[in-house]
Amino acid sequence: MTGAPKPSIRLAGLRKTFTLQHRHAGSLKAAMLSIFTPPRLERREVLRGIDLDILPGETVAIVGRNGSGKSTLLSLVARVYKPTSGEVTVNGTVAPLLELGAGFHPDLTGVENVELYGAILGLSRRQIQAQFDSIVRFAFDRPDLAEKIDTPLRNYSDGMKMRLGFSIAVHTDPAILLVDEVLAVGDEAFQHKCLDKIEEFQAQGKTILFVSHDMVMVRRVAHRVVWLQDGLVLRDGPTADVVDSYMAEPGPAASAAASPG
Amino acid sequence: MRQLTAELAEVWRFRALFLQLVRRDLKVRYKNSKLGFVWSIAPPLMQVACITFAFKNATTFAAKFDSYSAYVLAAMIPWTYFQTAVLDSSQSILMMYGVIRKVYMPREIIPLATSVSNFIHFAMSWLVFFAYLVFYLHAPLLPTLAWFPVLILAQFFLVTAASLVVSCLNVFYEDVKYIVTVLFNLGLFVLPIMYLPEQVLHSPTMQSLWGGWAARIYMWNPLAVLISGYRKCMLEPPHPSVLGGNAATPFDPGSVLGILGVSFVALVLSYMFFNARKWRFVERP
Repeated sequence: MTGAPKPSIRLAGLRKTFTLQHRHAGSLKAAMLSIFTPPRLERREVLRGIDLDILPGETVAIVGRNGSGKSTLLSLVARVYKPTSGEVTVNGTVAPLLELGAGFHPDLTGVENVELYGAILGLSRRQIQAQFDSIVRFAFDRPDLAEKIDTPLRNYSDGMKMRLGFSIAVHTDPAILLVDEVLAVGDEAFQHKCLDKIEEFQAQGKTILFVSHDMVMVRRVAHRVVWLQDGLVLRDGPTADVVDSYMAEPGPAASAAASPG
Repeated sequence: MRQLTAELAEVWRFRALFLQLVRRDLKVRYKNSKLGFVWSIAPPLMQVACITFAFKNATTFAAKFDSYSAYVLAAMIPWTYFQTAVLDSSQSILMMYGVIRKVYMPREIIPLATSVSNFIHFAMSWLVFFAYLVFYLHAPLLPTLAWFPVLILAQFFLVTAASLVVSCLNVFYEDVKYIVTVLFNLGLFVLPIMYLPEQVLHSPTMQSLWGGWAARIYMWNPLAVLISGYRKCMLEPPHPSVLGGNAATPFDPGSVLGILGVSFVALVLSYMFFNARKWRFVERP
């Protein structure tokens, strides 16, 4: 056998087809009334056979225009979608970054929300308690913010919730971090902090898979870029090469690249 | 069957998250007021007080009970549990939608946690009932009380079954919550909460309707069986004058075991129904 390391993420012949209902019955009433007229179904192939190996320690950016299947691919790696066919193999714990506010409860205090959110991301209570101070320190570096940790989350600004969520996610010590365009929120200082943390993750040899339209960010962070188009891998290679040809592409790809975020 | 045990093993693997969700539900429920639990049990108690007021004054049968309000309360506690648990779980998955779009977890733990946290509240509500029974009414504790744990277990199965189906349907159809609310409003009158099931069974109208089948079908309702079972295992039978001279039917262990079996089968079928749909909750192209 070769000495090549076991991939962190292996996608083999991965396909995902969605079945769309055209006259969508949004209510039970409508569904019952239309019981004798079967809905017209349309199948949309979003991923049409993806083979991809991502090695431990790699930071891979997925680029492509809207509808190319980037987010679907990330959802399959996170196991929130089931593949239509093909296989997703993941070695190591995965931490996805959640959208702003997801998983938090406004009536609970910051402390209680840290416990809940940590559990959602797969931490035991003991692990959360051990990391607690560090989580708060990373999220709220100012003492006046840190004081709020015992008050209900409804008193927090969006930025504070975002910081707290990111802080918990990075403290789960995952082997693989999945990032889907969420770092665009937050003030500049915090974005810098996030980038520092991502670089720290890279230094620790963790695997990062992220989706972005922000080519400045991609160039800065990614080692390798996978360009998806119509559910297939169009290009896969070193960051500079793929981003250059992606930006050179006329049409939506270039315009998306020109307006980061 | 093998697949079902594999799904349950996956739920067990996520028990830490499950317990956090139960804790969250209970904390949120008791946090919104200083009095916590006491405050959250006030609505059914007020309902019982008002029903007692109306029926004791406007009907002739209610006054013939030694304690009519104990009979209403013994029905209102399980009925409130059923309603709140199913309504809470109807929203449970949508409340976690942003999470399950990004993070893997066996989705059934979300309605299960709602069901369990409501069950804990339900179990505590009975303490209020027993306190009322023993310290206020000075009623004896009957030997049939031994069947009480079986009844609450059967109801837990039934509530969880309904929660799984309703929470799942509510992801796909937006009007499920309203339909369920309407049905619950009807339930307050159709179920034997303000009266005894025997009154329905002995009523001349019901006995002649559909050749007597209407009365039989009335007792096919698992909630009617449960409510009747709770009362008969905890309370002494009412005076025969309540039922126009007929003695109330005694506590029937067979019907309790029957409802336990029915509820368990309902739970297994609902779980299969849920599992067949749970992967489609978040999938959008």
